[in-house]
Amino acid sequence: MSDAPDADGDADAADAGAADVAEPTHPGETVLALSEVDSGYGEVQVLDDLSLHLDAGEIVCLVGPNGAGKSTVLKTAFGMLEPWTGTVTYHGREIGGMAPEEIVREGIGYVPQTDNVFGSLSIDENLRMGGVAREEGLDDVIARLYERFPILDEKRGAKARTLSGGQRQVLAFARALVMEPDVLLIDEPSAGLAPNTADDVFENVQQVNDMDTAILMVEQNVTKGLDIADRGYVLDQGTVRFEGTGEELLADDEVSELYLGG
Amino acid sequence: MVLEYLANGLVFSSIIVLGSIGLSLVYSIADFANFAHGDTMTVGAYAALVTFGAVGGLGGAVLGLPYGFFLALLVGIAAAAVVAVATEKLVYESIDTDSIGLLITSIGIAFIYRAVIQIRFGADFTRFGVGTLRPIEWLIPYGIRVTQHDVAIVVSAVVLVTGLHVLLQYTDLGRKMRAMADNPDLARVSGIRTRRVTLWMWVIGAGLAGAGGVFLGLFNQLSPRMGFNLLLVIFAAVILGGIGSVYGAMLGGFLIGMINQMMPLVSDLTDALPLVPSVGIEYANAVAFLIMVAVLLVRPNGIAGEAT
Repeated sequence: MSDAPDADGDADAADAGAADVAEPTHPGETVLALSEVDSGYGEVQVLDDLSLHLDAGEIVCLVGPNGAGKSTVLKTAFGMLEPWTGTVTYHGREIGGMAPEEIVREGIGYVPQTDNVFGSLSIDENLRMGGVAREEGLDDVIARLYERFPILDEKRGAKARTLSGGQRQVLAFARALVMEPDVLLIDEPSAGLAPNTADDVFENVQQVNDMDTAILMVEQNVTKGLDIADRGYVLDQGTVRFEGTGEELLADDEVSELYLGG
Repeated sequence: MVLEYLANGLVFSSIIVLGSIGLSLVYSIADFANFAHGDTMTVGAYAALVTFGAVGGLGGAVLGLPYGFFLALLVGIAAAAVVAVATEKLVYESIDTDSIGLLITSIGIAFIYRAVIQIRFGADFTRFGVGTLRPIEWLIPYGIRVTQHDVAIVVSAVVLVTGLHVLLQYTDLGRKMRAMADNPDLARVSGIRTRRVTLWMWVIGAGLAGAGGVFLGLFNQLSPRMGFNLLLVIFAAVILGGIGSVYGAMLGGFLIGMINQMMPLVSDLTDALPLVPSVGIEYANAVAFLIMVAVLLVRPNGIAGEAT
C-alpha cells in the first residue's frame, strides 16, 4: 500500500458519517466505473487503458492469467493505488485518488485476499472495526450480521486468529458489510481454501449479493467465479481482452483456450 | 534482604514499564525503533522539574509528595507528549524514508533533545526539591527499606498502566490502536483514520515516557543523560516481552527491572560459590541482556510473542 494516497485524518471530518447508508441504487444503474485507467506500483505500470463497469446488484468476476492486473483493478478502485490516468467513478462521482478510509465512507467495501481479519482482536471487535465510520446503528447491523452468519455469533468472543480459513473469510465479508456498502470488492475469496470450504465461500458471496450489494470479484477459480457471476471480464496484460456474461465466457473456445486453461 | 531487593525491584520496574510501553507502542504503530524515546523521558523529567520549582509548595502532601509535585508530573507528561507529537509532525511524518531511516533520524532527534536540555540546565545532576524521607517504619522489621516516595512511584505507575489497559480494551480509540498494531493496511481498509490514531499513540506513548522520566528523577536524580542511559534497558524489556506487544512490554519491563535490582543477590550468590567468578552489581545490565538473549533463544518473538 505504499502508493496509497495519504491517510489524512483531518480530511472531510464533517463528512465522516455522511454515508452511513450507501446511496440508493436502481437496477441497471452503473455504480462503479473505471475508464481508460493506467495504474501500477511505483514505476511499474500494470493497468493499461483499462475500462470496466459494475452495475447495481451485479456480480462481476475478473479472471485472467497471473499478473494480468486483476487485483490491481480492485486496489485502484479502492484508493490503495492512485490512477495515473483515467477516471474511477462511483455513482458518477470521481473517487480516483481518494484514500481508502474515505472511500469506505462513500459506500464501497473491500475484502483483501490475505490478512483480511485482525487476528489479535475478537470477532466482535473485528466487526466493530468494520463500522468505525458509522455514526449510528452499529449494534443493530452487527446483530443482523450475527443472524446471517451464525458461526460468527457462536464465536464472537474468540480471537480471529483461532478461526479456520473459511471462517476467516466469512468474518472478512462480515467486517466489510458492517458499513452496508452497495459495492463490495473481493479479492480471490477462495484462495487457499479446501474445495468444499470454497463452495461455502461462493455461497456467501451470493448471499451478500442478495443483500443488494453489487460485487466486483477477482477469482482464480474461473469456473466457479464465472458460474455465480452475472458478467465477467477477462484481463490480460493490464487491459480487458474479453467481456460477456459468465455463461458466454465459459462457452467461448478462444477465451477458454487462451486464458482459462483450456 | 530478599524482600528489600524485591521492593526496590518493584519501584525500578514501575519506571521501566512506563518507558517500555511507549517504545513498544511507537514500534507497533509507527513501525520503527525510536531511539529518542529515552530522551523523551528526560524531557518529561525536566519539564516537571521546572514546574515543581514554580509550584513546589502548593497545598498539602500525599505519600510525602506535595500536591505541586503531582501538578509537575502532569506537566511533565504533557510536555513529553507535545514534544513527541511536534517531532512526529515536523520530522518523522515529513521524511520519506523507511524504518531504518526513521531509526537513524530518531538518534539525531535524541541528540537534539539532550543538547537543548544540557544548554538550558547544564550537565550536572540535580534533584526534585521534595526532601529526603526516612524508610517507612513499620516495614523496617521485615527488612524492607522503602520510602513513601517509592510507594508513590509504584502506585502512580499502577494507575497509569491500569488506565492504559482500560483504554486499550474498552474504548474505540484503544480498539483502533490494537487494530492498527495488528494490521495497518486492513485498518485503513476498514475506515480507520490512521493518522489520527498514530498521533494519539504518540501522545500516550510519550506521555507515559514523560511520567517514567519524572519517577526516574524522583527515584534517583535528574541529568541530561538520564533517559538515554536507561534506553538500552528499556529496549531489552521491550524485546524480552515481544516487540510490538504492549502487554509484553509491561511484562518485559517488570522482569528487567526486577533482574536489575536483584543483582546484589546474584552478586552474593556468586561470591559464595566456589569456582564461580564474582559478578558485581555493576554488571546488572549485562546480566539483564544475557537473560534477554537466553529467552529469545527459546522464544524468538519474546515472551508475549505477538502484536498487542
